[in-house]
Amino acid sequence: MGMLAWVMMGLAVWHFTIWLPDHFWGGIVGAFVGALVGAIVFGFIVNAGSVPGRHDTELLTALEALPGALVGMAAVYLEGMRRERLTR
Amino acid sequence: MGARRRNLLILLAVGLLLVGSVVIVVTKKTRLGLDLKGGVELVYQGRPTPQQPKVDSQAIDRAIEIMRKRVDALGVAEPEIQRSGAGNIEVGLPGTKNAQRAIKSVGKVAQLFFYDWEANVLGRDGKPHPTDAGVTGGQSAGQAGGLSFYDAVTLAAKRPPMNQGRATVNGQSFLVDDKQKKVLGGPAESAADLVSELPGGEAPRGTRVVNVNTGTLVVQAEPATDANGKKAKQAPDRYFVLNDAPALSGKELTDIKQDFQRQGGSNPIVTFKFSDKGRSAWQKVTRTIAQRGQQQQLPGENPQASFQHFAAVLDGQLITVPFISFTDNPDGIDGSNGADIEGGFTIQSAQDLARNLQTGALPIKLKLISQSQVSATLGKEALNQGLLAGVVGLALVAVFLIFFYRVLGLIAVAALGVYSLYFYALIKLIPITLTLPGIAGLILTIGVAADANIVIFERVKEEIRGGNSVARGIAAGYKKGFAAILDANVVTIMTAFILFILATAGVKGFAFTLGIGTIVSLFTAVLATQAILTSMSRSRLITHPAALGAKPQRRRWTFDFMGASKWFFSMSGVILLVGALAIGGKGLHFGIDFESGTRINTAVQKSTDENGIRSVMAAAGYPDAKIQRRDDPKLGRNVFQISTRNLQPDKVQEVRQKLDERFGVGNSFSNSSIGPTFGKTIANTAIIAIIASLLVITAYIALRFEWKYAVPVLIALMHDLLITAGVYSLTGREVTTSTVAALLTILGYSLYDTIIVFDRVRENVPRMPRAAFSQIVNRSMSEVLTRSLATTFSTLLPISALLFFGGETLKDFAFALLVGVASGAYSSIFIASPVLWHWKERERVYAQRGERIRREFGGIVPAYAVATVGGAPVDAEPVTRPKRTSRGSLSSPEPDEITAEEFGELVADLGDGNGDDGDGVREPPSPVPAREDRSSRSTSSTTSTSSPTGGARAGGPRSSKPKGASKSKSRNRRHGRRR
Repeated sequence: MGMLAWVMMGLAVWHFTIWLPDHFWGGIVGAFVGALVGAIVFGFIVNAGSVPGRHDTELLTALEALPGALVGMAAVYLEGMRRERLTR
Repeated sequence: MGARRRNLLILLAVGLLLVGSVVIVVTKKTRLGLDLKGGVELVYQGRPTPQQPKVDSQAIDRAIEIMRKRVDALGVAEPEIQRSGAGNIEVGLPGTKNAQRAIKSVGKVAQLFFYDWEANVLGRDGKPHPTDAGVTGGQSAGQAGGLSFYDAVTLAAKRPPMNQGRATVNGQSFLVDDKQKKVLGGPAESAADLVSELPGGEAPRGTRVVNVNTGTLVVQAEPATDANGKKAKQAPDRYFVLNDAPALSGKELTDIKQDFQRQGGSNPIVTFKFSDKGRSAWQKVTRTIAQRGQQQQLPGENPQASFQHFAAVLDGQLITVPFISFTDNPDGIDGSNGADIEGGFTIQSAQDLARNLQTGALPIKLKLISQSQVSATLGKEALNQGLLAGVVGLALVAVFLIFFYRVLGLIAVAALGVYSLYFYALIKLIPITLTLPGIAGLILTIGVAADANIVIFERVKEEIRGGNSVARGIAAGYKKGFAAILDANVVTIMTAFILFILATAGVKGFAFTLGIGTIVSLFTAVLATQAILTSMSRSRLITHPAALGAKPQRRRWTFDFMGASKWFFSMSGVILLVGALAIGGKGLHFGIDFESGTRINTAVQKSTDENGIRSVMAAAGYPDAKIQRRDDPKLGRNVFQISTRNLQPDKVQEVRQKLDERFGVGNSFSNSSIGPTFGKTIANTAIIAIIASLLVITAYIALRFEWKYAVPVLIALMHDLLITAGVYSLTGREVTTSTVAALLTILGYSLYDTIIVFDRVRENVPRMPRAAFSQIVNRSMSEVLTRSLATTFSTLLPISALLFFGGETLKDFAFALLVGVASGAYSSIFIASPVLWHWKERERVYAQRGERIRREFGGIVPAYAVATVGGAPVDAEPVTRPKRTSRGSLSSPEPDEITAEEFGELVADLGDGNGDDGDGVREPPSPVPAREDRSSRSTSSTTSTSSPTGGARAGGPRSSKPKGASKSKSRNRRHGRRR
């Protein structure tokens, strides 16, 4: 259940990247991967490598994915910018 | 073969099949599932025994064979016993006659073992004490003496593993409370089994699991026998620890019968004879027992006081402990005359034991992991509700089709009628066991069949509006629409197949009917309607475009879908955010299918309220049961639903008996009971099914389109599934196996719309060689939006019928579908397409186009491709492609070729002469001499007077119509081509 909450939160946050200029590495799909991977990895780290089960999932579990998704997307964005600079 | 002849042949085939279908429908019986006609479904999980350490397919087959013999012997009509998954056996027992006996009998292992009692029953020191009546029970052996349950378990747990090769069970596990010196659970076959059956799946604080090793057996004392030889109903709370080394097994018995005592009463007994090996073993053990008794006899003492005993233990239960008289049989009992068991039986229990011993013991142990029972009344009610939903769904779709497509709609409705008849005939012919989920699948395929017609009819209308004659419009519409229909239906069939392979019995029925129905609908909705329409193409009835609803469009979609996608993305983001928080905060309300537990629906005969039912449940050991009074006048006034997490499948009959004793349940008892093992299997299977479907769909789209089209599809599907999950969490609706089936169906349906849009994008890419990708997508959306809305609406109609008329079970299913299908239509337009646009726009060719268009239009990319005609911007429609010169298959997509001229323009766009950069743009075929292409070029020169942007070839001005454009339109019509 924790994983479901993380993925949902990652996907939710990703939807708002549409407002940003498309400098993501891999474009909007790259941002999608970044958001999901970031949300899941961060969730894992916060929960010491485990996924909260049904009875352990709470509001905070879903919120835990938020910074991860943002960091994941930021990483993809920065990599995209770096690659654009190199291309120029 | 000419088209006319082909159509005639198809119509002839349709007619013949119709006649055949009518014959089948009239002559064959419909096979109804247990949920529609009432009955019991049991799912057993095979477990190893010391005699059969591995549950292999041979053991399962042998078990099925024995079970079938037992059920047949009980006279249950049309039982269904089949393997399910790796080690499970599903048993379906229709009707309720003898069902209770069948439940008790069918899964009984019936392993009978005989023990030398005094030599094997152990005292507190773990050793046998044949002379200690406190240990053996003395003359009341098996009924007196013994230990408390706790003492017996803790004593047994101290013994190391022993009696390898002789022991009858692979150890036992118990849950004990050392403080209170109580045994709270068990025996189970393993600690994991024991814990999984506990509430919450873990041992409560202050308790521990105690394991008894192989070679030691804890058995409860047998019920006391009265003077007439009748046994008490309850066994005393005393237990014995046995050294598990039997002298003889039930395998050595032959000619087993139920009979009556000949001396000392007329109680039912089970008589039997021995095999040669059994006779010798019998003589040997009875001799040992007799001689030990003789040795223990004190001078002057009544010999009976020294008689020793043997014990008969059936499936770990002590059933009788008779003595061996050394005065009558000093050398043991000769087994040539056989023997009998006087176990205080009733006639029925003696008959059942005799029959089970006759058919042989099951080679493996069977654990009942799921049990569901539907009363005939509830089954009939469900059938009526399902049929009503089907009729209403069909009627709604028919009205919609006729209203929207007029003559075409009438033909589609006729095709739907033919489809329904074919399908019903197939159900009877195969035969398919019709279940409630199966009816849901059937109703949904009405939507699938209607969708196929809508896709084609919209295409036909488009072709006719584009200037084609009705006959050519029909031919072109079918040809072009078929690729999209095939793609969408293949995905539905694949999803149905995955469901069928992985799902449980009920959902399997749904998957099967959905798969078969989709295939049949391809025949009726595409081939049959095409044959009818083409044959009628010269008829007055359809020669006027208005009769087909193909009058010139007064309005068309001009919405900037891609521009607005930011707002729709944000809306989805907010919905998902709320959903994610709901999942975290509230979670999902999983039904007993996943959580395990039992739900009972029953109409009791005596008047009572919730508290009355609760008191019975509490007395039965289930004080946590939730009781709800239900309003169902058809079942009676006192209808209750009882739900509890802790009632396991094998205890349901006990509860039924208690309810029956107190209030009388008659035949109105229905239940669904899932054990924890089965619940976990269902949950894992659901996850596998969803992941497998997503992978298969992605692979298919990547193959049929290109891989970049597959990713937006995957994202859109995730969007739909997660939004549905969010809605379930927010509304607190129960998630059942039906919900999972609905989710998988959503995958197929959501894809239907996406495929329609992407198919048009793919088609328009080569037709708009100078347009930005956003313009191509906007144009495609504008062309297919009506179609998407119509297919979604036609699918929602039967779903709504299911929701409002389908009864409780189908309502759940329909709700998930309603949310998912609506979300699917939305995501196809506002999620999948914008993602595709954003991703494709990064490709060099589209980036270059975008830059050029921005330069020309002052930094913006118009929503739709425009051309400047006489200085004024006009809407530019995609160019008509050259006619295919080679014959392609009907299902293959239109080739994305471009003309040499278009290629030249592309090269100019790119500036560096590298024209093969980017998907969807290929090296053009060398000269395109086709007549239509030449005319296309001439049209282009007529309209594109300056600065054509976005593939402005055939300008179709709407607001300010220049003269030249108008001429072009009339010319196009004259040429009979689509513009």
